[in-house]
Amino acid sequence: MAASKRKRGGEGPADKKGKKGKFVVNKGEAQVETEQASRNEVLVPAPVSMGKWTNKERVLIFSSRGINFRTRHLMQDLRTMMPHSKADTKMDRKDKLFVVNEVCEIKNCNKCLFFEAKKKQDLYMWISSCPHGPSAKFLVQNIHTLAELKMTGNCLKGSRPLLSFDPKFDKEPQYALLKELFTQTFSTPRYHPKSQPFVDHVYTFSIADNRIWFRNYQIIEEDASLVEIGPRFVLNLIKIFQGSFGGPTLYENPNFRSPNLHRRELRLAAAAKVREKQMVKELQKIKRKEAKEDVDEDVTADVFVTPNEEKPVHIQTEPPAPKVVKKNKHKAFKRQRMQRGRR
Amino acid sequence: MIRFEVTFGVRPSHFHDAWLEHIQHVNTQAYTATPKNVCSTTCFRSASRHFLSTRPASYMPTMESAEEESLHDQSSEEEASELSDGELQEAFSKGLLKPGMNVLAEKNKTFVNNVVGLKQCLADFRKDLPWVERLDMTNLPAEGVLSKPEEKVPAGINRELDADDDFQREMFFYRQGQATVLEALPLLKVHNIATKRPDDYFAEMAKSDQQMQKIRQKLITKQMILERSEKAKKLREQRKFGKKVQIDVIQKRQKEKKAMMSAVKKYQKGMTDKLDFLEGDQKAAKNSSDALKKAVTKKGPNAKRKYKDQKFGFGGKKSGKKWNTKESFNDVSSFRAKMAHDKGARRGKGGKKNKRPGKSVRRKMKGRS
Repeated sequence: MAASKRKRGGEGPADKKGKKGKFVVNKGEAQVETEQASRNEVLVPAPVSMGKWTNKERVLIFSSRGINFRTRHLMQDLRTMMPHSKADTKMDRKDKLFVVNEVCEIKNCNKCLFFEAKKKQDLYMWISSCPHGPSAKFLVQNIHTLAELKMTGNCLKGSRPLLSFDPKFDKEPQYALLKELFTQTFSTPRYHPKSQPFVDHVYTFSIADNRIWFRNYQIIEEDASLVEIGPRFVLNLIKIFQGSFGGPTLYENPNFRSPNLHRRELRLAAAAKVREKQMVKELQKIKRKEAKEDVDEDVTADVFVTPNEEKPVHIQTEPPAPKVVKKNKHKAFKRQRMQRGRR
Repeated sequence: MIRFEVTFGVRPSHFHDAWLEHIQHVNTQAYTATPKNVCSTTCFRSASRHFLSTRPASYMPTMESAEEESLHDQSSEEEASELSDGELQEAFSKGLLKPGMNVLAEKNKTFVNNVVGLKQCLADFRKDLPWVERLDMTNLPAEGVLSKPEEKVPAGINRELDADDDFQREMFFYRQGQATVLEALPLLKVHNIATKRPDDYFAEMAKSDQQMQKIRQKLITKQMILERSEKAKKLREQRKFGKKVQIDVIQKRQKEKKAMMSAVKKYQKGMTDKLDFLEGDQKAAKNSSDALKKAVTKKGPNAKRKYKDQKFGFGGKKSGKKWNTKESFNDVSSFRAKMAHDKGARRGKGGKKNKRPGKSVRRKMKGRS
């Protein structure tokens, strides 16, 4: 049962009379900023009423065909997290990529997150600024969605996030460009009508192992104790283009290895191992079948020859003493045991 | 004499045409050939078309031997016996092929890194928004309040974050987020943006209540499982310990009993006329019949037992009646030394009326009477 949505910009429900504090009858434009300060206030005005929404960012989030459930959930999670996003139907793979620009124009969006699934295994993500801006293509790995039970945090739907970047983003020009792109795409504009006025979660972008790691944490306490909300994924940069979904390449990642190549390498390595083993076996067979030399004389036969000492010849005149035969007392038992066993 | 030498099993099929353009001549002196790969005459290794578009520089065919790789980082040697002698002779006559070792050297795959372009693009693309709109921060991870020794904090710029060490990596991200929050909160306060939500503010959350319930259940079950396993472990330990104690006590009792019996026997046999062995006991027993004490617990049966006997009579479990109890076991009052040593007069079976004589005797008696 979802929590009932609180009416924003109007009076709160009647049972709130118990709370002390003044009732603000109407959208308190004048008391804009002081509203949140007083916790006992019943009414929290709508975001737009507090100020004009000027930063018109709209992000179009959609995908191509052939995505699997995890990608679909990731997309849905991103749409939940970003109130300034719009959804669209799946794009046919027959269309070329620059069609995406037109779709964005139709929807009046100026940023785009496009997920492309290849071979039902690899997921590529395009992030671009739609009319003319730069775009980047990533390979997405290690996707964990909001619905995973290990992510115990929760946040308001549509609340504005804090963005946290690794200092490595400032070191190199391609990362600086990516940082700007992420900032403009992921940050919810202020006073967006669907946003919530509180800041209660933080996105972290970090660079490790030449990849960009994305995490989403909920801020619990003022002393910065965090709990992960999700989703989380890892982006492996492939290329940055000057135009949107096309245009001259500005940057190519030298550390990127296409997943196909990676799989091929693995397969070749396995094949090479098998072939090596086979070759070794064949060689052994050949060796075995080779005509072996018969050696008549062993050169080393005399090495350990030591003549033994002469013993006096002993002639037996008396018969040898009879050996003491120990009576086997357990024979009966054994027979009984065997009979019992047979039975 | 041109000879082919096949070294690989992999035969890429697309090395047919346009190989003439990409043959590089390598000076024989520069290339120190390994004995494995070079025959006595000049050995021509066929060149193949560069396939720059599909193969990045880092990809090397796995069939290459280590020695070859070490000699030429960028070159790969491919053999294709599809190239005919005629073609090679042609090339040779044209002067494209020179004598000596001809090795295919791959063109260095250059990766586009248009720094100027990137900077330009960034300058064009950047939107100068006030911080309040963006809410972005760049910072290093925060130092923990209690810096645990397990967290090997990578010294920011100096050491690279090891992506494979899960704990370290996640802690890095966590600390980065923390540092951001710590820095950003005062700034938010300045701009009067709230971070704490009032208690009565109900709004739609990113995860539904149902989901949160599921999460809570999972955490609770995990906790319970942990507790249960802890309890079970403790109980096992206790039982082991308790068992040890029980065994010790039983053994001690057996030893005592043995000592007592032997002492009593000695006294009976007259070896010792001192009753020292009874020092521990209160009764001084002289006769064998009274030799050993009858262990009497002063309490008698338990109060609970008495009540139950009273209520239910002496019914209930009858099967235990034939088992030894502590008292019955320690009770040796029915021990008759004479009987034990085969000295007492047999009264048992012969005690009844005289044995009936056998058939022959009876016949004789019959005959006589």
